[in-house]
Amino acid sequence: MKRFAIFLGCTIPARQPNYELSARKTLEKLDVELVDLDNFTCCCPAPIQSINLESSQAIAAYNICLAEEAGLDIVALCNGCFESLAMANAALKKDKKLKAEINKVLAKVGKEFQGTIEVKHFLQVLIEDIGLKKIQEKVTKPLSSLKVAPFYGCHSLRPSKLLQLDDPERPQIFENLIESLGAEPLEYRNKLKCCGGLLKGISDDTALELAREKLANTNKAGADCISTLCPFCFVALDIGQIQVKGKFQEIYDMPILHYSELLALALGVAPEELALRSHKIKADKVLEKIA
Amino acid sequence: MLHHNVKKAEAISFSEEVTCRHGGETLTACYQCGTCASSCPVARLDSRFNPREILKLALLGEKDEVLSGDAIWLCTSCFNCQERCPQNVEIAELIFALRNIAIEAGNSPNIYADFGGALIADGRIVAISKFVEKKREEFGLPPLKPVGVEDLNKILEATGFTKPEQKEASK
Amino acid sequence: MEQPKVGVFLSDCGKQLSEILDFDALTNFVKGVPNVALIARGSEFWRGKGLQTIVDAVKTGKINRVVVAESITKVSDVNIAQAVEDAGLNSYLVEVLDIKDHCAWPHRNAPKEATEKAKAMLLSAIERAKLLEPIEKLEFPALKSALVIGGGIGGMQTAVDLADLGFEVNLIEKQPFLGGLAARAGRFFPTDDCAICIQPPSSDVKTITHTSRKCVYRSGLSEIPNLNILTNASVVAVEGVPGNYKVTIEKKPRYVDADKCVACDKCVSVCPVEAPDEYNANLTNRKAIYINVPSVYPQIYTIDEDACKFKDCAKCVSACPTNAIDLDQKPEQVTYNVGSIIVATGFKEFDASAIKEYHYDNYPDVITNLELARMIDSFGPTGGAIVRPSDGKPAKKIVFVQCAGSRDRRYNPYCSGICCMISLKNASLIKEANPDAEVSICYIDIRTTGREHEYYYERARDMGIKFIKGRPTEIYADEEKGKLIVDVEDALLKRFLDLEADLVVLATAMVPPEGTAELAEILDIDLEADGFFKEYNAKLRPTETKQKGIFLCGGATFPKDAPTTSLHAHSAALKAAKFLNSGKIVKDLRTAIINDEYCGDCEFCPVMCPFGAITLEPTTENHFVARVNDLLCEGCGVCVGTCPLNAIELKNSTPNQMAAQIDALLSVNGTSKPLVLAICCQECGHTAVDSSGMAKMEYPANVRIIKVPCAGIVRVNQILEAFKAGAQGVMIVGCKTDGCHYEVGSEKAENKADSAKVLLKEYGIEPERLEMFKMVYIEGAQFAEAAQMMTERVAKLGTLKLMGDS
Ligand SMILES: Cc1cc2nc3c(=O)[nH]c(=O)nc-3n(C[C@H](O)[C@H](O)[C@H](O)COP(=O)(O)OP(=O)(O)OC[C@H]3O[C@@H](n4cnc5c(N)ncnc54)[C@H](O)[C@@H]3O)c2cc1C
Ligand code: SF4
Ligand code: SF4
Repeated sequence: MKRFAIFLGCTIPARQPNYELSARKTLEKLDVELVDLDNFTCCCPAPIQSINLESSQAIAAYNICLAEEAGLDIVALCNGCFESLAMANAALKKDKKLKAEINKVLAKVGKEFQGTIEVKHFLQVLIEDIGLKKIQEKVTKPLSSLKVAPFYGCHSLRPSKLLQLDDPERPQIFENLIESLGAEPLEYRNKLKCCGGLLKGISDDTALELAREKLANTNKAGADCISTLCPFCFVALDIGQIQVKGKFQEIYDMPILHYSELLALALGVAPEELALRSHKIKADKVLEKIA
Repeated sequence: MLHHNVKKAEAISFSEEVTCRHGGETLTACYQCGTCASSCPVARLDSRFNPREILKLALLGEKDEVLSGDAIWLCTSCFNCQERCPQNVEIAELIFALRNIAIEAGNSPNIYADFGGALIADGRIVAISKFVEKKREEFGLPPLKPVGVEDLNKILEATGFTKPEQKEASK
Repeated sequence: MEQPKVGVFLSDCGKQLSEILDFDALTNFVKGVPNVALIARGSEFWRGKGLQTIVDAVKTGKINRVVVAESITKVSDVNIAQAVEDAGLNSYLVEVLDIKDHCAWPHRNAPKEATEKAKAMLLSAIERAKLLEPIEKLEFPALKSALVIGGGIGGMQTAVDLADLGFEVNLIEKQPFLGGLAARAGRFFPTDDCAICIQPPSSDVKTITHTSRKCVYRSGLSEIPNLNILTNASVVAVEGVPGNYKVTIEKKPRYVDADKCVACDKCVSVCPVEAPDEYNANLTNRKAIYINVPSVYPQIYTIDEDACKFKDCAKCVSACPTNAIDLDQKPEQVTYNVGSIIVATGFKEFDASAIKEYHYDNYPDVITNLELARMIDSFGPTGGAIVRPSDGKPAKKIVFVQCAGSRDRRYNPYCSGICCMISLKNASLIKEANPDAEVSICYIDIRTTGREHEYYYERARDMGIKFIKGRPTEIYADEEKGKLIVDVEDALLKRFLDLEADLVVLATAMVPPEGTAELAEILDIDLEADGFFKEYNAKLRPTETKQKGIFLCGGATFPKDAPTTSLHAHSAALKAAKFLNSGKIVKDLRTAIINDEYCGDCEFCPVMCPFGAITLEPTTENHFVARVNDLLCEGCGVCVGTCPLNAIELKNSTPNQMAAQIDALLSVNGTSKPLVLAICCQECGHTAVDSSGMAKMEYPANVRIIKVPCAGIVRVNQILEAFKAGAQGVMIVGCKTDGCHYEVGSEKAENKADSAKVLLKEYGIEPERLEMFKMVYIEGAQFAEAAQMMTERVAKLGTLKLMGDS
């Protein structure tokens, strides 16, 4: 049985029990053991990188060190956590000078970055450590006829030079994973563009406009739901719909489901066990379609 | 991602100030082709922001305009531009570098003071309330593990982290 | 060998030197040196009466070694050597030193010290002269023939030139037809005439005129008696040496007998198999048996092996009225013996599929300039109509995207140089034929640097072609509109444009063709970082390679337009002709010699030799020994400096000779300053010393100069010996790394200086006493400065104490 240190970050435990719950349940069903380590901190994503890039990198490295000490690879659920940690991990493995610099800082807290573990996205664990075949085999309630618009978000793919999750221009792994559940992945315009989440509180109008465009494009493509990989994308598109309705009187009623939630449903987890009630846009439409 | 650590003379130009910083190294490779601008989801919605223009201003040494304007804060860090730049300019990281300089100079939207403050206090940027902890229990989620706040603060100190200032009137 | 009898000729350069140096003292000094048989003083010895004095002394047998103290030695050297050779003495028994620029002028304010230094210089030259050995010449016949690889306009023109000059020429082309890019490009800027014409050979007695330019098929190229053209052919092996290469060529079967085919097209009408027509950018299909266009050379049909059903069909065999078709043809190997090889393999368009956001691989309406050229061509698949390949409908809105894969660090960092002009030409041709077409060009910078080129840009604007300064981020298909959208920012307006297009034309980068690296390997010549063939010297010898008998032309070295390709082709022909002209190769054997006993077959020297002159060859079982190819060896001595076992010596730069020179140079000080030895390469290093002297820049006379062929010859133990011989400081002066005349010598010397410093420390010698300098001729000031600096540095360190000294 493969073991991972689960990196929850800040937003998921505070605001998205639906993501955490479905991720824990599905990974367990797929024979992955998750370990909750002590002392993980904020991953220091873009907002903190904006304040001090070096501090952010050092703290990301600190978190990696905790997993190194436990001898575990990290699985991150949030795109932001994945990006901060995976970028730091890749950069430090590649760049000796940077590693020396950061290790000087880490020495103050008795840590040393070694470069012995991998930081993986939830998606990556599914593809690389479990495999499409096994997922297909474990599917008991195929999501046939469900049209799913995959939304990668930004920080699962980019910067690709460091993250190397998939081809940044034509990624396929999310689509393949959707297919493995029996659902149909959809193509839509600007699939790889940003949800606007990080502009919230700085330029709310632009942030909302970006979310609105996603909703419009997926709606046009005929999606039954949008599937996300990141708590920020989820919020931007879920709560975003309420705001879009308020501001533009546009009603999309587009359920947003984390991939882990779709996966859970396909693996036969009962909807009631999934904290679906924390969604602002109810998933009922989807549940009906796959019932 | 290489920190040059170059100690420059007093009268260094703004573009040099940027290139010898973490994240700022690739500035001078920019030849203003505009690929970044057309890649940018924000630039076409908000005329205050254009990554190509920011780089041009930085290259020309328009320090005040870059650091005190709204523009640098409008980047969503989506990395679309960086992915496609033909000169391998690390644009999104350059914007971080510019924001770092601006914050050191005391310029930033108030929200960053909140982020910085939360990080220092809790080691998290989203607080966990009692209510949340109860909710987690209800959902059958395991209790949260302690956060290494002490270590984190030592690291912040060692890396010269300055908490952004909260300003009276927000931007 | 006969006892050395040295003649010393002291020139005072029209009395100017005797005002500084004490010539009587010099004469007296030289008199006392053993083996000096003659001393003569004069005002110049490199021409006229002075030179005659030398010649007479040689002829009478009074002397058999010549030492001349002169100025401008780089010129006088040549004259004196030639005269001495004519007088019957080997020209390598001459040593010329520059007592003006290396002594009198730079030290003119310290005449006494200068005189002492001049003594040391003279002694050093005499000691060297005594040890000099005659160097023989190697002479052997060179074949008056050439192989030209690549039948584009570059290769064809070189081949015709060489054939016109009377050489036997073999032109081989990998494709079934000649012409290369020009055969597909339609019309060419800057003349706006057809791309595929060349100047006919002078063997065409009837129609050749001063003004004639002819299509390749009617140029008479094929009828030149001494030009042999082979298509479907590529080089598989090359053996031999410059002047005598044995080349093995593999010829793919054409399945059509060239001697019988009458190009009647009957075969095509019966052939049932269709295949994409690559020549026409796959815009149409052709048959499995085909000819590109009727006007190609050779006008012989060919069979596409991958498409043809051979024995299962064979319809063409019976249809052919002349029985020309032979489906049993097999690949053949032929060998040619040639004196020289010219590489003219051109370039190709970059595969734009790599730029995924442009969707060249999955949108049929995204095409390249070469594909567009096929559409513009009225003989082409669309009869000149500009259409959308996806549905064949006319393309009304056309957007060009410049720098697709060029100036892009992800793919090709360089500017391909010709694509701006190609797009301007093609856009104008479209607009001319269809004034209603909306044509836009997205560019980063427009580059139109040749004569008449800017006019294309002006004309394009005048015609209403729109220019958008911006590189598109992506091209996407708008299904509703049924158009492509080019997503670009006009950087001048800071405005985002979603340009609608029926057709998007990518001005792709130009890159080396397939097989370039393999060919470089076969020919043992180098490639540049960009993957194109590397010229010997980009500024002065742009058609030569590190292999003396191998030349380059056209796009093989970098993307070029046709005018530049022509220049290059004619230049390569001239260089090859110069090389082959006399029918013999003459070479001084100033080469490296291997001491078999010491050679430990470590493989350092074969790798390091910049000319590929050293190979390891088996002697007895399990034992290899390095062998120097005298013809390829350029006498730089980089191998000498590389060999860890001191198994290599360079003739007339042997350790003994150098040690004798150094001892002599350091035997007299005459100044109050510590002696500094400057080991200067004969190229940039030594000439920088010249130029500092010529400009009368001053540095102290304790700095003594020894000339070596290349800084790369210096060995670590020689540095140590120099210190033992009395040097308090040692400078190594070589070319700039990029400008090293022997490619790697200067870099190697620098590495060696670094490792020597470590060793010096172990011997108790301060590493700062050794320094490597790199300069070019014009940097005389830098030399003077370095000499001054080293003197001061060493003086500060105090007298050197060698281990064992008390
Ligand atoms: C789309 C396009 C439009 C152009 N328009 C213009 C224009 O308007 N004006 C202008 O001045 N220039 C133009 N050019 C440039 C022009 O085509 C070149 O300058 C010219 O073709 C270079 O000639 P070349 O013989 O060096 O190379 P090529 O034309 O590339 O010929 C090289 C030949 O060598 C053959 N070959 C390659 N490798 C081997 C091998 N290993 N063994 C045997 N044979 C080999 C190839 O098959 C080819 O036939 C254009 C180029 C392109 C691509
Ligand atoms: S894409 Fe790169 S080179 Fe082009 S303008 Fe933006 S940063 Fe500069
Ligand atoms: S010639 Fe023009 S299109 Fe071609 S690479 Fe250079 S600038 Fe770009």
